[in-house]
Amino acid sequence: MKRRLGQHPDAALGAVLVAIGLALPLIVTSRHWHTTLINILLFLIVSVSLRFIYLSGQLSFAHGAFMGIGAYLAGMGSKWLHLPAAATFVLGAVGAMVLGIITGYPFSRLRALYYGMATVFLGLGIVLFISTGGVWTGGATGLSGIAGVFHGATRYYYFFLGLTTVSLLIMHRLEFSRIGTNFKAIAQSHLVAGSIGINERQCRIVAVAIGCFFAGLAGAGYAHYNQILSPKSFDLTATLWILMYVLIGGIGSFWGPIVGTIILLLIPEFFRKLGIYSPYVSGAVLLLVVYLLPQGLVGIPSLIRRLLAARESEALVIAGVPEAPLAAETVTDGKESDQ
Amino acid sequence: MLLQTVGLCKRFGGLPAINELNMHVHKDEIVGLIGPNGAGKSTLFNLVTGVLMPTSGKIYYDGVDITKKSPYAVAKLGIGRTFQLNPLFGDFTVLENVKTSFYLHPHTSMIEIFFSTRRHRRNEAFIHEQALEILEVVGLQDVPNELAKNLPHGYQKMLGVARALATQPSMLLLDEPLGGMNPGEIDFSLKAIASMRAQGKTVLIVEHNMQVLDICDRVVVISFGEQISEGTPAEVRADKNVIATYLGGGKRC
Repeated sequence: MKRRLGQHPDAALGAVLVAIGLALPLIVTSRHWHTTLINILLFLIVSVSLRFIYLSGQLSFAHGAFMGIGAYLAGMGSKWLHLPAAATFVLGAVGAMVLGIITGYPFSRLRALYYGMATVFLGLGIVLFISTGGVWTGGATGLSGIAGVFHGATRYYYFFLGLTTVSLLIMHRLEFSRIGTNFKAIAQSHLVAGSIGINERQCRIVAVAIGCFFAGLAGAGYAHYNQILSPKSFDLTATLWILMYVLIGGIGSFWGPIVGTIILLLIPEFFRKLGIYSPYVSGAVLLLVVYLLPQGLVGIPSLIRRLLAARESEALVIAGVPEAPLAAETVTDGKESDQ
Repeated sequence: MLLQTVGLCKRFGGLPAINELNMHVHKDEIVGLIGPNGAGKSTLFNLVTGVLMPTSGKIYYDGVDITKKSPYAVAKLGIGRTFQLNPLFGDFTVLENVKTSFYLHPHTSMIEIFFSTRRHRRNEAFIHEQALEILEVVGLQDVPNELAKNLPHGYQKMLGVARALATQPSMLLLDEPLGGMNPGEIDFSLKAIASMRAQGKTVLIVEHNMQVLDICDRVVVISFGEQISEGTPAEVRADKNVIATYLGGGKRC
């Protein structure tokens, strides 16, 4: 039976995070920190939606570019057509979704590495298109003069907190419904999925459409908050950073991209003194995660549990009790991380 | 005739895997498809289910031309199948494997799933019950919460059958369902397969294990992509062509 949303085991953790989010502006008051927090909120949507597409077995390297599509559509709608913010958000999100569907259709013939390669070039193409867009997109110098929505960073913050919460709730619900199950089925074996009647192409395009919708939505938020856009913010490097948030946090769990985004966006703030060398800290974290936590940062609790269990069973072995159950558990965990 | 192939050919490069094959399966039959390694048995399955496209020839199912249909469309028409090398949803539990396979019947639209409408909840409850029943049919009722990849080989084979049954097919294509099973499991599986006919399912089995002949109404023998014999199990066992193919021709001792 399907659980109601309130009964899901993730509900309590989510509620705690939202409560912390609500309280944060009361604790940190500097404008600089507000910008960091808003950045985190927006990139939470982007990284969780990147993982959402990945659920169907597709690792997109154009996700940052789709965020750019949303940002530029919203920005241009605001600057040239003087659309109200409500309309530009819809324009950005739906525009990115439509482009996702149009490109997702031919790409859904490709799998694994070939899909990844195709999306690399799609992302490059989108950024090239934006930077050669002349006066419309502002070209390589960027697009400025986008209308703001609110006065004061606190209002922006609470608005984005709501937007992020709703977006993540929707993607969570999709993932843990039969829709997400079908995506995961395709990712595990498209042969078997086909044999039970799942339309692989349709499912994959739906996953891309939903993922791109949210990337575009976050992009629109980005445009209205910063009020100035540069194509460089959405290039391949940006996508790789988003991918890094997902991988370091843990691509196997819904919480992975959330943890990864928060930690990797806080690192440069805490290591501000290192200046341009602060990415080295992120790199060191990446290496540590790769060596110690194949499941990503979300694997820390289970690692601690395993270490505790190992100590306990050591004590039991000394007392003369065999340690078979532990060995079985460790093997299972190793296999899971391979997936 | 439920399933019919007409002049079916499949070449990989220049090599014919299936050559001018004309075969048919009647409704409510259990047909065994046997032949030595590399005879093209699995290729035939992949052609019928749309995983591979034939080089030439036609395939009809219940009067409908399914030659160029994709796998999901073939499944929709009522052909369920298992795989020889048995891929499965390894990270799903046994029960999840079967529940996921209830994709076609009852089908719920994504909108209804998202809003968890009453119809969707009713369907899910129905699927849960049906899935448990199917697990009982194939003998996996004791391990519903085991991850599929951790099952022993014989159990995985039966899980494949369970998954195919969940699509509520009118025809089942079983690709070496007895491979890797111990004698006890083989007896159980043969009974399970024979009982499927009682539920109005037509079965086409590819198998190396000759015990499967006991439950077949008719046997088709192919070698190098061509049909070399056809008949009741007793007839096929006595056929000189078949004996020559399996044991080698030449002088008899």
